[in-house]
Amino acid sequence: MNTTSPSTTKQVFRVIIQAPVEKVWATLTQKDVVLPFFFNSVMKTTTLAAGAPIQMRTPNGKYVAVVGDVLEFDPPRRFSHTFKFTNLDDPACVVTYELKPIEGGTEFTLTSERVPVGTKTEKYMAGGGKFIANVLKAYVETGRPSLMARFVALMNVLTGPFTPAKCRTEHWPLEKKVR
Amino acid sequence: MKPDSMDLVFHALASRPRRKILDVIRASPGCCVGDVCRYFEISRIAVIKHLRVLEQAQLILLQKNGRRRDLYFNAVPIQLIYDRWTTEYSAFWASKATDLKFLVEAEIHKSPAPSAPRKRTT
Repeated sequence: MNTTSPSTTKQVFRVIIQAPVEKVWATLTQKDVVLPFFFNSVMKTTTLAAGAPIQMRTPNGKYVAVVGDVLEFDPPRRFSHTFKFTNLDDPACVVTYELKPIEGGTEFTLTSERVPVGTKTEKYMAGGGKFIANVLKAYVETGRPSLMARFVALMNVLTGPFTPAKCRTEHWPLEKKVR
Repeated sequence: MKPDSMDLVFHALASRPRRKILDVIRASPGCCVGDVCRYFEISRIAVIKHLRVLEQAQLILLQKNGRRRDLYFNAVPIQLIYDRWTTEYSAFWASKATDLKFLVEAEIHKSPAPSAPRKRTT
């Protein structure tokens, strides 16, 4: 509709997190640790700044689930990067995290744009956005992932052996450009 | 989720027109108030009142886009309700139950496809 071309769509997810902006930002942008709100993946990057490559890898580092390039990195308010699933041939979409201080906490908004309509990427992003917003909230507020996140961690372990070979880390050097 | 914010979500959802509005916005992300009004007999003012209730519950998000405001559905409040009463075990089996429900009901409502004729019972 309107400005968005019919071939792509935009999804928005918002949650109020009862923690200061700095804490939410620090949690969101952790490198090299297992992130429950990112489906138990590990963020790999050179240095977090515009133009830097970014990857979400499995905890053992054997597989790369998501690749992208950082578009904006403006602590502690705005973080945006391109986002492509390594197991799909869909083009990259754009993910933006916005943090806004409000009374009693932080308004966290996750926006995914340029999501190709009718693709698996669209389906994954719809479920993923909701999941990330919600599990990040639980993780920042309580220090531990929610039940759902622990379930996903378990499923990851179970489905690991079925991950396609093209997702193996050796096929996705960090320097490889995505856009 | 604070108790009062959950009240807002349940209040917002406890209305048939508001649930319909959510369906409309979810199906066309980035639509405007005028687009939503087209689906309803009620006045534009009434639609705007409903939108305000949904916005207070954070079930819809308004984003400025030049002179207009784009409407987006926000699934997070519903996910928070889901998480509160669901465990790993119940989530798995409850979704098996709903999958079966949707599958069977879709079969019933589907008009018989020409390529797949119904089996004769006689």
